[in-house]
Amino acid sequence: MRTPAHDAVPEDGAAEASPRDGEAALRAPLTRGDRAAAGEFYDSYAPRVRRFIAGSLGSFGTRQDAEDLMQETFISMAEALPFFRGESTLFTFACAIAHRKVQSFIQTGARRARLAAGIDLSAQATEQGGTRDGALLRALDAISPDYRELLHLKYVEDASVAEIAAIRGESEHAVESRLARARRSLKKLMGRRR
Amino acid sequence: MNRRRDDGQAEDADLARRMRAAASGNGSAAGDKLRERFSARLSESAARTGVVPIEIDGRKLEARRGATVLAAAMKNGIRLMHVCGARKLCATCRVKITAGAEYLTPMSAQERLSLRAHLSLGSRTRLACQARIEGPIEAATVFPLCGDLPESADGGKMEDSE
Repeated sequence: MRTPAHDAVPEDGAAEASPRDGEAALRAPLTRGDRAAAGEFYDSYAPRVRRFIAGSLGSFGTRQDAEDLMQETFISMAEALPFFRGESTLFTFACAIAHRKVQSFIQTGARRARLAAGIDLSAQATEQGGTRDGALLRALDAISPDYRELLHLKYVEDASVAEIAAIRGESEHAVESRLARARRSLKKLMGRRR
Repeated sequence: MNRRRDDGQAEDADLARRMRAAASGNGSAAGDKLRERFSARLSESAARTGVVPIEIDGRKLEARRGATVLAAAMKNGIRLMHVCGARKLCATCRVKITAGAEYLTPMSAQERLSLRAHLSLGSRTRLACQARIEGPIEAATVFPLCGDLPESADGGKMEDSE
């Protein structure tokens, strides 16, 4: 049984993450390793990071995979935070680490065999698709993971092109043109399956 | 023209709304254990910032803060080539920085010149003998490591001469 998780997170990411001006105040104790600040950081960013991982992983992994990646991300973050100097926002910093974890997970292709066998993943997709926006969910499942991540950052997290570029380590120009292609691809997939 | 742009924006807003609704269940899970682990690990790693966790070719290593990438690699048994003796001439020690480039000391004019002379000046390439580690980085080697030459490279002459 999967846990019904719809009620815990507000629909738009506005409520759970603190506004940017609160960040500087949080950053100083965080880089010193203050435990209370660490807890606060976890509380305000974990839902968004988890959602980012789930969004960019899509049908490529199970919930357990997403949870594993979540753990890896936060442990790496704990090691990297003392060196963080605030060149980017904390969310960008967190997503950049999560992005690399997800990419290396996808690249290792450890789950390819299971994907090919088509176990439980398609079931998960249709189950969700039955109750919610089916056309969109199916299209997101079919689209390439790279595009899915871009679309998630742009539309769910409402990240700017500059932020996306920082997260993915690409140029803004590259992000813009990829985004356009991702949108086209999504539209095409949605049109076909409707 | 304007109308077309308006249509595009409306479409964008609609897509954003739908994607948010679709992602709404993905953020939550009971993660108190992870919260604890995260806080503990953070205070642990903040207590010893003289040591930096780095990754070269996927191997997790520890480097002294302020050491060059070359020194950190050699100390950990990753024998990067450095034909000129770390004098920023040969660029054989160059590595590709796959993450955390902002945690390396800025590039000097000579390093830039050397990389440009070897046609490898890019946003992610650094000379390992010059870049000093100030925070966690991930790097990938460019050249084969010393001692990693294929067996056939000596043409089998070693055995013949005996």
